[in-house]
Amino acid sequence: MINGLNLLFQFLDSFAFVVLAAAGLAIIFGIMGVINLAHGEFIMLGAYATTLASVRLGLPLVAAMLVGMVVTALFGLLVERVIISGWAPNWLGQRLVGRDLMEPLYDRLADSMVATWGLSLIMVQGVRITLGNSLDQIGTPLGNIAYGGFSYSMYRVVLSGVALGVLVLAYLVFTRTEFGMRARATIQDEDTARALGVDTERTYAATFVIGSGLAGLTGALYAPTVTMVPGLGGSFLVEAFVAVVVGGPSVVLGTALAGGFLGGINALVSNLLGTTAGRIALLVTAIVMIRFLPDGITGFVERVRARRQEGGA
Amino acid sequence: MSTNDTDTTDGTDAETDTGPETATGHPNVRQTAAELATGDRTDTLLATDGLRKEFGGFTAIDDVDFSVAEGELRCLIGPNGAGKSTLLKLVTGTHAPTAGKVYYDGHDLTDLPPHERVRRGISMKFQVPSVYGELTVRENARLPIQRFADGAERRRRVDEAIAAAGLSDYEAAPASTLSHGQQQQLEIGMAASMEPDLLLLDEPVAGLDVAEREAIAERITRLNEERGIAFVVIEHDTDFVATIADRVTVLHNGDVFREGPVADIESDPAVQDIYLGGDGA
Amino acid sequence: MATETGAGRTDSEPSGLLGRVRGRLEGPNTIGNSRAYWAGFAVAVAALLVYPYIVGAYQASRFSLFLVYAFLGLSLSVVWGYAGVLSFGQVVFFGVAGYTFGVVSVNFATPAGITGAFLVGIGGGALVAAVLGYFMFYGGVRDVYVTIITLVSTLVLHTFMAQTAGDQWTIGEAALGGFNGMPTIPNLAFGVGGAALVISDVMFYYLVLVLLVATYLGLRVLVNSDFGRVMVAVREDEDRTRMFGYDVRRAKLLVFTLGGALAGLSGVLYAAWGNYVSPGVFELAFASLPVVWVSIGGRDTLLGAVAATVGIEFFRNSLGGEWAFVTVGALLLVSILGLPGGVVPWLDRTYRNLRGGGTTPPTETTDSTDPEVTEA
Repeated sequence: MINGLNLLFQFLDSFAFVVLAAAGLAIIFGIMGVINLAHGEFIMLGAYATTLASVRLGLPLVAAMLVGMVVTALFGLLVERVIISGWAPNWLGQRLVGRDLMEPLYDRLADSMVATWGLSLIMVQGVRITLGNSLDQIGTPLGNIAYGGFSYSMYRVVLSGVALGVLVLAYLVFTRTEFGMRARATIQDEDTARALGVDTERTYAATFVIGSGLAGLTGALYAPTVTMVPGLGGSFLVEAFVAVVVGGPSVVLGTALAGGFLGGINALVSNLLGTTAGRIALLVTAIVMIRFLPDGITGFVERVRARRQEGGA
Repeated sequence: MSTNDTDTTDGTDAETDTGPETATGHPNVRQTAAELATGDRTDTLLATDGLRKEFGGFTAIDDVDFSVAEGELRCLIGPNGAGKSTLLKLVTGTHAPTAGKVYYDGHDLTDLPPHERVRRGISMKFQVPSVYGELTVRENARLPIQRFADGAERRRRVDEAIAAAGLSDYEAAPASTLSHGQQQQLEIGMAASMEPDLLLLDEPVAGLDVAEREAIAERITRLNEERGIAFVVIEHDTDFVATIADRVTVLHNGDVFREGPVADIESDPAVQDIYLGGDGA
Repeated sequence: MATETGAGRTDSEPSGLLGRVRGRLEGPNTIGNSRAYWAGFAVAVAALLVYPYIVGAYQASRFSLFLVYAFLGLSLSVVWGYAGVLSFGQVVFFGVAGYTFGVVSVNFATPAGITGAFLVGIGGGALVAAVLGYFMFYGGVRDVYVTIITLVSTLVLHTFMAQTAGDQWTIGEAALGGFNGMPTIPNLAFGVGGAALVISDVMFYYLVLVLLVATYLGLRVLVNSDFGRVMVAVREDEDRTRMFGYDVRRAKLLVFTLGGALAGLSGVLYAAWGNYVSPGVFELAFASLPVVWVSIGGRDTLLGAVAATVGIEFFRNSLGGEWAFVTVGALLLVSILGLPGGVVPWLDRTYRNLRGGGTTPPTETTDSTDPEVTEA
């Protein structure tokens, strides 16, 4: 029973971690075909902004988290305009030398990886230079649940609820809002979407901002629980990545399933063999999944479903 | 699962299949695979037996028996979405069949990956011209040849291939700078330079003007007559088809609709009907 | 037969042995196909040869680390620039080789043992690459998924090696050491018993330099050979290349294994240089350095890989401190956005434009594997 509870909490923890880490990245990768290797640093930015707002400005926690999210979203806008779409450098280039200076990074997977890696180096070192090697931490709110000889942070349980909430919200945005409609059209077929009057550039910009905001939210949420060092993004990055790939083309469902599946494996192995083994198990599982289900879980499910439909018709 | 799993959705031919079962006007094609097995009709080079290909919920190729004799010049026609490109890709092994078999020169090709099939004498030119844009014409022409020829022999063949494509003056130019027609010529040349027994051409004259079409028609005919290469050519241009073909196979909704000598097909009203969107009744 | 004088070829028909050697070293897949280039190359090598006498043994020893890294840069250039496989996992083979060298050389601390360790280390790198490559390429994994698998592999190794701290993680005399790494790895030595040579300090510098020049030239021959052309064709269009009868999976596996061997060589030299190896080599920051070097230098040129690796590392170490990484990051951003092909190709184009030689790279005048290269 006790072990069951431990396992449950570990699972909720892993699930929340994977989903929240992956959410922003899934949206950006799914819609724009851009791989943002600075995703971890965006999370870090959200965490830092939240911590600073709380510790130095004295804002209450929820307000500080909002600040964290907004700051990261705005930074995302800046990055999108300058680096991803090249709008700013090209605007400058047109005025100074009469031509565009760069091509947008959409659908340039390798180049976007390399460029955003450069960005992440700048961000980590930039934060290290301006704010030092570590920052005072916000205390974890909400105390602990005690059971048997163990206790577990209530806050982390709440996080899993928030993770679910984020998924539901993302689903609603994609299916009920106009932005969501436009985004899905663009994922399906950019040229057609554009021909139908969708301003794909603005959709991309909005997407990147939303993805960044989500990353900022993740950082804000985890600020009270992780050590505030400039490199904290690193521990989110790879898990986010593999979740996106393992999840497959369906942004919301894929992230949810990947979170559940990978989180489950992590929790199970951690429970039996320790957290390091759990992490390794998650990563190795991801490798195996990528090899055998290259379209991800939702890609595979779609194919099976279509095949069965054909058989039954 | 095929050893080389490139089982991707073929965007060029995919479209939702909502039509009724196709008319069964099959000529005597079904016998061919059986004949092959018993050793009759030994001049059959290629035969498919009950070939079927599904992409998710869509059946692109539906139980097709298709055969080509040695040295035959066959044209494959049909409305868009009929499955023509898919059929060729099943022959080359780019797609793995959902069911059915492909026989070539008496051998069952099913477990052979594409590069093995090429080495046995099947060669293909894709629908979209795909020369290596960044490489020069000479480097392009060299690539298929370097596998089986060396030294002076190699240079001779490369020169020949370039000359046959009419590109001797463009040897050092990057292939991306060639015109569309020139790229088609280069690609056909590259495919032919491997001295295949069966050459599959997917829309070799798409987007070309009349003079260029004539040049390619002549080239195909010459390769067929002088070197005895069998061809399967997908094309929409009826004049072009009439000029080069021995026999024509009409594909519709993934199945063989009609097959026969060019004259018969040309005058068949049912064939015209399916092009206009009917069901060939 | 039509001969086209490449823009770089300023000399008339190359003759004799030198001509044949140059014929193998030059071709469409490398820059620098002229006498001027080789002259410059000779000057650069000469400069590197006298460098220790100018700056002293200590500085030379520090510099030799950058030369060691050049092998790692070359390994990624071969795999990414020439075969189109973006790998964040070259450090996996680097690290495995380093640790293997460490384990074997600590346990067999004789010159013969160390020579064996050297070979086994490189072999270890190549073997791991072959296994991973087989898993990916023969499993039909493509493009970005290959990159992600290599990235994740690096992380798996980092996580695993970092927890090898306990006493149970000891192979013979060698303790893996967890986060603290494995110290007291001996210097390189070659030979047997009395006829052995222990390589230290300046001698190490020269050993690495000689190996690097030899490797560079060898790779030039390879990428300009028939196999090199197949590599490039695979990079440009895998499906098309398959349809010319080439086994693309096998080609990628071979290239990837070669990349593993090169990275392994780098790792072994690294372990011998610092007499130390740690899980830090599997960290994401270090894993991405080869991508940085090769992106900036120009991934489809060997020269770019070497020059950028040595240059950037030298610069990073001189700058030191926190600004080093920021500058490198900025450099990376600017170069990938503004000069996506890399600095060295850009320099090459600019140089040839200035000389009025036209923009086409030196094309194949004759089939370079043909011994009768001198015929018109």
